[in-house]
Order: sequence, then C-alpha cells, then structure tokens
Amino acid sequence: MFDTVTSARTLMGVSLGFHICFAAIGIGLPLLLLIAEGIALRTGDETYRQMAKRWARIAAVLFAVGAVSGTILSFEFGLLWPTWMDFSGGIIGFPFAVEGIAFFTEAIFLALYIYGWDRLSPVAHWLCTIPLVVSSAASAFFVISVNGWMNQPEGFAVVNGKAVNVDPVAAMFNAAMPYEVTHGALASYVATGFAVAGIYAIAMLRGDRSEYVRKALVLGLAVAAVFTPLQIISGDLSARFLAHNQPEKFAAMEGQFETEEGAPLRIGGFPDTEDRTTRYAIEIPNLGSFLAFEDFDAEVRGLNSFPQDEIPDARLVHYPFQAMVGIGFFMLFVVAWFFGLAWWRKRIDPGRLLLLAIAATLPLGFIAINAGWFVTEFGRQPWIIYQLMRTSEGATPRDGIGFILLVFILVYIALTAGLALLLLRERRRPLELGAPPGEAPHAS
Amino acid sequence: MPLEDLAAGVVLLGLIAYAMFGGADFGGGVWTALASGPRAAQQREAILRAMGPVWETNHVWLILIIVALFTAFPPAFADLFTALLVPLTIALVGIVFRGAAFAFRHFGHGTEAGLPGMAAVFSVASVITPLTMGMALGAIAGGHIAIEDGVVTSGIWEPWLRPFSIFCGLIALTICGFLAAYYMTVRATGEMQEEFRNRGLLASFLLGALTTSALPVAYWDAEPFWDELADPTALAVIAAAVVMGLTSLVVLWRRWYVLAPPVAAGTVALVIAGWGAAQHPYFILPDERISDVAAGDATLTALLISLAIGAIILIPSLALLYVTFSEKTGGPAVEGER
Repeated sequence: MFDTVTSARTLMGVSLGFHICFAAIGIGLPLLLLIAEGIALRTGDETYRQMAKRWARIAAVLFAVGAVSGTILSFEFGLLWPTWMDFSGGIIGFPFAVEGIAFFTEAIFLALYIYGWDRLSPVAHWLCTIPLVVSSAASAFFVISVNGWMNQPEGFAVVNGKAVNVDPVAAMFNAAMPYEVTHGALASYVATGFAVAGIYAIAMLRGDRSEYVRKALVLGLAVAAVFTPLQIISGDLSARFLAHNQPEKFAAMEGQFETEEGAPLRIGGFPDTEDRTTRYAIEIPNLGSFLAFEDFDAEVRGLNSFPQDEIPDARLVHYPFQAMVGIGFFMLFVVAWFFGLAWWRKRIDPGRLLLLAIAATLPLGFIAINAGWFVTEFGRQPWIIYQLMRTSEGATPRDGIGFILLVFILVYIALTAGLALLLLRERRRPLELGAPPGEAPHAS
Repeated sequence: MPLEDLAAGVVLLGLIAYAMFGGADFGGGVWTALASGPRAAQQREAILRAMGPVWETNHVWLILIIVALFTAFPPAFADLFTALLVPLTIALVGIVFRGAAFAFRHFGHGTEAGLPGMAAVFSVASVITPLTMGMALGAIAGGHIAIEDGVVTSGIWEPWLRPFSIFCGLIALTICGFLAAYYMTVRATGEMQEEFRNRGLLASFLLGALTTSALPVAYWDAEPFWDELADPTALAVIAAAVVMGLTSLVVLWRRWYVLAPPVAAGTVALVIAGWGAAQHPYFILPDERISDVAAGDATLTALLISLAIGAIILIPSLALLYVTFSEKTGGPAVEGER
C-alpha cells in the first residue's frame, strides 16, 4: 500500500476531481435555469418551462452528490492534512466560513426552487434562481480564493513556525485570486453549457429532433458560446500571471527546461525529465515569450534554473495543460461552427458530424476542468503552501491512510454507479409536455 | 466575554442547530428502519416527504461547524481529526451514504427511475452516523484524548471506544429518534399520529434512562468531565434540560401536539448546552483550553462578523423554507416502498 503522503494526496486528488464536476454543475446549472424559466415566463413557452422542470429534478440529485462530496473534502482537511490546517486554518478559514454561508443560501433556495413549483407563484419561483446564481458564484469565489492563497500566500507573518499578524481579508484577496477565481467560475458555465448541449446532441443523433430538444441544445450552446471566448482570454491572463509570479509552474506547463530568450510555444510534445528536454513538440518560434511577457525576445526561465527539489514534475503539468488548452480551442471551434452554420443557413439544422462534435463536448468540459486542476495542483508541488510548507509536511502523522483511500475509492465507485444508473433510468421517462401550467404532476 | 469564548459559543450553537435539524433527519432514518405495523409504508412515506425539501439545508449546519472549527480553533481541529480519525471517517462514510441514498430514493420516488435498496442504505447510514459522531464527542468530553506538546499521543481506538464514549454515541442516536418522532407528530394525522406519539414516548423514556445512567458512567470512566459537571452554570443548564425533558414527556402524553416540536428541540438544545457549559473553559478535556487553541483576534473578529451578517440572510431564508414546506402528510395511502 502507498505511504501516508502518497495516499493522502491520491485521496485528496480523487475527492477534488469528483467534487469539482458537481461543483461546476452547481454553479452552471442555476444560470441555465434562470434563462430557461425566464424565457418561459416572458413568452409563455411551455417547452422552456418543461426544460427547467426536468433540469431542476436532475439538479436536486446532482446538488446532493455535490453536497456530500463537499462534506468529504471538509473532513479530509482534518483527516489527511491536520498539520497544514493547524497552520492555515486561522488564515484561510475565513473564506471557507463565508462560503459556508453562501452554500447554506444555495441549499435553501435550491430546495424552494425544486420543491416549490406548486407552492410559489411563477414569478416568485423564478426569482429563486437569482440567489442560486449569486450564491453559487460566490461559493466559487471564496473556495477558489483559498487555492489562490496556497499559490500566493499573503496576509500573515511567520514567527517560530506559527502564523502571526494574520489578516484574513488580505489572505483572501491574494494576488492569484482574481485569475484563479475567474478561470474557475467561467469554466463552470462553459462545462455546464456544453454538457447540456451534448446531452441533446446525443438525443438528436438518435433521431429526436423535437422542438424541445432543439431549443435545449441551442440554449446550452448559447451559454457556452458566451463564456468560451471569455474563458480563453482568462486562461491567457492566468498564464501570464504565472510567468511572472510562479515561473516554475509556467515552465512546467510549457515544458521549458532551459532558460531561453525568445522561447517557442510548444504544442504537444513529451517532456523528458531524465534528459531535461521536451521532445516532438510543434514549436512556434518566439510565441512562448510573447504570450508570457508580450515581448517576442523576452527571457523565459526554465526548470533547470530552480533548485531541483523545488520544482514540479513537468510531465504532470505539461500534458494536462495541453489537454486543457486543446479542449478550450476545440470548444470555441464547435460553437463557431454551430452558430456560423445556423447564421449561414438561417435555420438550426446541425448535421451528423457537428452533432458528434457537440456530443463529444459533454464530458470534455469536465475533463478540461480536471486537467486545469492538475495544472494548478501538480504545478505547485512540492509545496502545499508555495515556498513555505511542503506537501509532505502538511500530512497527518497517522498510519493507515492507504486503507482510508481504499474505502473512499469504493465509496466513489458506488456513488458514480448509483448516479449513472439513476440518470440512465431518468432518460427513459417521458416528458410532461402539454400539461397546463400549475397542474403538471408534482415531481416528487 | 473574550472573543474565543464567543467563537466557541458559535461552534456550540452550530452543533445545537445541527442536532435540532440534521439530527431529526437521522432520526427519520431510524424510524424508516423501525417502521412497523399495517401503516409501515405510510410511515416511511411521511418521513420521506417531510425530509425531502429540507435535509440538505439541515446538513449544511455540519459544514458550518467544521469551517467555524478550523477557522477559529485550528490546532484543536487538527488534534481532533488526528485523534478521532477512525470514528470521524466512519461518520463521514455514513454521511455520504445517508445523503446519496436519500437523494437517489427521493429522485426515483413515484417514478420508474428508482434504484432498489436505497431505503435500507439510508436507514443503516442514519444509525451509524450519529452513533459514531456521538462517540467522537464522548471521547472529547471523556478526557481520553491524550495530547502532549500539541502532538496527539492516544491511539486510534481507545478514546472513542470507552464506555462513556459509547454511552454518548447511544445518547446521540436516541436524540435523533426522539426529535424525529416528536416532529412527525405534528405532520401526521389520525392513527399515524398516534404511532409517532408512541415512538416519541418510547424515545423520551430511553433518552431519560440513558442520560441518567451516563452520570455514574462518567464518574467511573470520564473523571475530568464528572468534575466539570459541578460547575454551577453547567448544573443550572442540566437542571433546565431535565425540566424540559419532563415537559416534553407531558406534552406528548397529553397530546398537545402543537407544542411537541419546540419542547423536543428545547430539550435537545439544553442537553447539548449543558455539555458545552460543563466543557467550558476546555476544548478537549482534560488539558486543552479554548484559549490555548484559539486563532488570533483578527480571524475571530472576521469570522464572527461574517457569521452575524450571514445570519441576517439565513434566518429569513430558513423561515421561508420551513414555512413553505410545513404541511401535514399521511392522508390517503400512497404506493409502498420497494
């Protein structure tokens, strides 16, 4: 079995990778509900109302899985990383506490939304989506600000290994926060938009070209089309921030071993950590330097220029970075294709190839989110708090974490299997189209 | 009052709220498992309906406790999760299965989308979770967690498998069943109301017996806690808990159902407050004081202010939630559980 640190890191990674998907849906779906039910209210279009109803039903179960998987994380801070929390709790606990309040608000209004179709007036019901959108975005802000702090620790001084002069607000508004928060929140809208579109693209591929499916597809893609370009810009800004403030992470992302003036942009390629070079990449001359420093001849620091026990493993950062960026541009291409075609033909009639591409984006958004998470987490190693505390120093002194890892892997398999079965069965349920408003059978 | 005591009070309030709301949901699982008689299916159905819209909100109290704990008392958080690794892991697995099974079951209810066996998973997890959480709290109070120079030296089994800890686990479980039965009496009608009344009476006798017999167990197995019970504030709160507990018995006996939820919640709140008053000024008995483990004043101030502002948003929202979904169930028979 793994040693304690490896087990703790694996379990934390699996837990976050699982939770992050549900967190993203928890942020993205309220926006789609707001739009769908808003259109239904304004136009009286029953299709959109049914859309919101069906999504809300699924949101209930996804949000529940998000809540329990988030609980796992809050426990794991103590079970796996007590030494880290002993040091950091007083500094970054504050945003978590505010996030707790935001999450509370979200849970309350989600319950009102999901179970309140027959009990609230249509407008009051729709209004519930506003606190949902706001509090879920606020949750993202507060939680991701903590990760920002782990990358750019601020708001305290260290005396005899203890944090003193703590300023929790300054810690929350750390330098990395604006970049990470923006990128993480936008990713949620992009991934959810494409996930919804992907589901209905699959329905179309199976021959269902009903009005409901077409409208849902367009709505998902419209949200994705708004947020994908913003996400690419935010990604560029984030990379530039890293080039200046966390150069070893940037070097690992780019597979840059030697310090170089006029560094190329490497697309693909295999970082070889033995020979300290990145092979077989498509290299676009000088573009790496330009993207990092807005100067084609700027010097980009390579991994070799850092103390070798303070750099991340380039392979664990470069591959997921390439995957994330590749998926981002593929998504941009898909929405451009879809809306370009619709504009050209003046009607929504996607062909098979385009539908296959949209279907592919169903998982890709979540894969990209996890890849981005790998970049930021593996890219910070060997630190749990950048240049202050090593990951190995933050772990629990207890043995037997390997066993806990095993237990939770089984828990995640059970959760995933249960959820998959449930959603597959749900797909076979017929729509309730045609029922007059207010008289549709209650979902519970 | 010093800031750290205020923050500890907030953690205790969170615990009380979690017990009052979340505890009742675990009790719902207990009575789902113990549903019996000709109306067993309706009992489960009524519990399912009552919990459906609110269980997730009720669960968030736990998250608030955890974050308030690690924000205001980081070393204590680290010590507790190190010392109580095993019971907290078991409780966590229980929380996950309880929540997921309930959500899956509720999702599939009345449609063909349901999964089999979810009620059973929900019930078992609803028993295990409060039991292990109560055992963990018992370990904190019992004085068996050993910490030397900020390093936990007690093993992973002893502190929470002591007789006193086991008693605390049973009390926690009984509290859940007690609350759920009392709350359900106002939501049920007719014969089902009587059934929940009987369950409530049973649970309140059991709770009285367990808390009374926990005292000699504390004397024998949890000496530091026993000593702290002599504190006048603790004695006063515990006396109030006893009075409230007897009142709740009378309320149900006389079928004053409208009063059942508040007196039950009040009893539980006072029991936990009594425990908190006895613990004060210690965080982990016998050695770790609240003042030893508190974060700096800037952190405590930020936390308390944000929670106060949060309360302004949350209290009306919670009121809206509970008012919207408080109706009687149990009228016409609904199709049975799988």
